[in-house]
Amino acid sequence: MEYLLHILILIGIYVILASSLNLIAGYAGLLSIAHAAFFGVGAYVAVLMGLHWETPFLVNLAAAVVFCGILGGVVGAPGLRIRDDYFVIATFAFQVIAFSVLNNWVSLTGGPMGLPGIPQPVIFGWTVSSHWEFLVLTGGCCAAVLWICHKIVTSPFGRMLKAIREDEVFAQAAGKNVAACKVLVFAIGAAMAAVAGVMYAHYISFIDPTSFTVMESIFIISIVIIGGAGSMWGPVLGAVVLVALPEVLRFVGLPSAVAANVRQILYGGALVAMMMWRPQGLLGEYAFRKGEAQQ
Amino acid sequence: MTNDWLRIDGLAKSFDGVKALAGFSCSLREGEILGLLGPNGAGKTTLFNVISGFLAPESGNVVLRGVNLTGKPPHRIATAGIARTFQDLRLIRQLSVLDNVLLSFRDQPGERLGNVFFRGKSSQDQEAANRNEATSLLEECGLAEKANDPAEDLSYGQQKLLSLVCCLAAKADLLLLDEPVAGIAPEMIEKMLGIIRDLPNQGKSVMLIEHDLDAVMQVCDRVVFMDAGVKVSEGTPEEVRNDPKVIEAYIA
Amino acid sequence: MFSQLLVNALIAASIYLVVAAGISLAYSVTRFFHFAHAAVIACGAYSVFVLHVWVGLPLSISALIAAPLGGAVGLALELLIYRPLRRKAAGPLVLLLASIGAYVVLQNVMSLAFGDASRSIRPTSVQEGLPFLGARITCVQLISIAVALALLIILLTAFVRTRWGKMARAVMSDPELASVSGINVDGVILWVSFVASMLAATGGILQSLDVDMTPTMGMTALLAGVVAAVVGGIGRLPGVVLGAIFLALAQHLSTWIISTQWQDAIAFAILLAFLIFRPEGFMGKKVRETTV
Ligand SMILES: Nc1ncnc2c1ncn2[C@@H]1O[C@H](COP(=O)(O)OP(=O)(O)OP(=O)(O)O)[C@@H](O)[C@H]1O
Ligand SMILES: [Mg+2]
Repeated sequence: MEYLLHILILIGIYVILASSLNLIAGYAGLLSIAHAAFFGVGAYVAVLMGLHWETPFLVNLAAAVVFCGILGGVVGAPGLRIRDDYFVIATFAFQVIAFSVLNNWVSLTGGPMGLPGIPQPVIFGWTVSSHWEFLVLTGGCCAAVLWICHKIVTSPFGRMLKAIREDEVFAQAAGKNVAACKVLVFAIGAAMAAVAGVMYAHYISFIDPTSFTVMESIFIISIVIIGGAGSMWGPVLGAVVLVALPEVLRFVGLPSAVAANVRQILYGGALVAMMMWRPQGLLGEYAFRKGEAQQ
Repeated sequence: MTNDWLRIDGLAKSFDGVKALAGFSCSLREGEILGLLGPNGAGKTTLFNVISGFLAPESGNVVLRGVNLTGKPPHRIATAGIARTFQDLRLIRQLSVLDNVLLSFRDQPGERLGNVFFRGKSSQDQEAANRNEATSLLEECGLAEKANDPAEDLSYGQQKLLSLVCCLAAKADLLLLDEPVAGIAPEMIEKMLGIIRDLPNQGKSVMLIEHDLDAVMQVCDRVVFMDAGVKVSEGTPEEVRNDPKVIEAYIA
Repeated sequence: MFSQLLVNALIAASIYLVVAAGISLAYSVTRFFHFAHAAVIACGAYSVFVLHVWVGLPLSISALIAAPLGGAVGLALELLIYRPLRRKAAGPLVLLLASIGAYVVLQNVMSLAFGDASRSIRPTSVQEGLPFLGARITCVQLISIAVALALLIILLTAFVRTRWGKMARAVMSDPELASVSGINVDGVILWVSFVASMLAATGGILQSLDVDMTPTMGMTALLAGVVAAVVGGIGRLPGVVLGAIFLALAQHLSTWIISTQWQDAIAFAILLAFLIFRPEGFMGKKVRETTV
């Protein structure tokens, strides 16, 4: 039972990550492989505050969200000058730098040793300790994030994001402030990733930089793309499938060392296959056609 | 009102040494339809790109109702009351016809993120009103039954019509139309010209680039003929058509 | 101390140069970032490992076989993935994503086959460095500098002199025009992929001779290559030389001030700065922007 709850909690965390990245990449068309960086920075901010200043959980959560939101805006800003594949490379660069900071700023982050002994979150006197309680907390955050995403994408703001994704020139000619929009949506996505990071850190009660690598970013974008970028439920489906996958592999008897590699081979292969035959993903509507010659 | 409702003053813009605009000036009265004629490569589209802020001119000014728009970003200019179409026809092809029209409304409260969450009611009301207006615009020009189809499913002529409808939804005072009737069927041309001819009655002014002389003759109050980035001739359609300089430029 | 830093920088520059030349070449004909290059880099190193350690061939012969093997991996990727995608008019983002997927697959296949721990093909007898301008430089390092220089000269002459080179340059400057004027663009892309992947594999081999190999080694090398290529100006070989030297100097001289672990971060800070303020690099052409 606990095992099942564990999987569900992880799925919840990845639903948050994928849905927030979907806002950035699927709706605004800003393909980013830096999401694990925000995931990680959010986790570290909250944990460090809790460990050093012993501030309450909700304060830490809020601080992580705000910090990552601002950071996201700063990182998204290059998207105003550089586009398409160059932008991907820029986000990539940020991801590597962020990992490097987490890994090398030993006096602050503990470096490769990570930060152990993260206390259980206490929310207005409710100590979140059992798997059930964590599931409730993660589920709640997940629902909140999905609700926000839903509000955004069904609003005129969401329509504007799609317009920017498809044709910036049209959007500008229609009076949309494309630059502000891009920065804003990047900030929101990054802030949501911080929520996932805080959940993850407190659930596992230990963090180290290896959870927030380039490969993790690639994994998150794969969830979005395989599930379907630019649709509300695509990334949710993607998260369920890709997070449950290694458990299925373990179930069929693969040793866990091999299963990790096989899982990656499967989602890497799925990414290639999707690009070949279904670039809009399982449920999506955006096929990353940016930068193509207009006919 | 006065002669300089829109004033364009000595615009210059060159690309790698090619002077697309070389000190172009002209002006537009309120409620006037001005035709812009000229051979290929004369700089007509470049002029539109500069007016609408997509290109920064090397020198010169664009002044609308006494407000200098030069150097402002495109979205500012668009909200200051200028709407345009593109020669190469830009629409959000993947979104529905209705969404394209809805996108064209300026300053929508629902496009501010804060309103989406904190002032939901008022932005939803505005959105509903826009939706009604968009639907009636589409009805008026016969695109209503296509409202929920993706824009790319429309015929070429219908897409051009849709981009004109988008300019109407913008409630702009000045419309820059870049070859709106080129390459479409005669009935559609009639329909579009009908809409354009009616624009001054709604207090709107138009600059119209068009190669089709008949169309220009039908709708324009005044015509400017440009070549190599400068104004060559100006006057009523008749005058310009018979100007020896124009005839010479066309032959050359 | 200072001269040792310079020598280290020179060695790093030579490896970056080889990788970056491949990346730059591939990007300028295919117009997308060939992320799976990172896997090809590691493939080169592991091919040498298999041939040299498992099969028992001499190191030099293994390397000579391994480089074209890496090229063959690049060819396979081009034929199986990129070309079909291009036929479907896929844009640079789709190609990039497919390439990332291919990287993930190849890297994990190597992890399964060889394990995640590092493997070595370095000659067992530890080499004494030769004195060189007050610094020490090993034989292997000298070889890697020589190889990089030789490859660079061959590439440059091939580009300027041969028919193939001229065709490649035509495709780089305008694929459509090249296609109209009778150049087989697919063919050019195919052999450029081969050459670029061979360069990547060579870079991997050189690096593994210096610091051993892991299945993920290609990522760091690719990143350095991308930085050098962007800094120099994508598609300009002389620019790439400049970029590689600039990056290597920046990384190694900064160790005066901060510790070596920050080299990646430095590389990427440079990349970000260039992408934002001068995306065309030192010598490249302007990159595309939104135009009306
Ligand atoms: N973005 C650009 N980059 C380089 N040159 C350009 C650009 N836009 C226009 N030009 C050049 O500027 C000149 C004027 O072009 P423009 O498109 O304004 O002409 P036009 O009058 O609209 O012609 P047409 O009737 O063919 O539409 C041409 O020589 C064109 O090649
Ligand atoms: Mg034109």
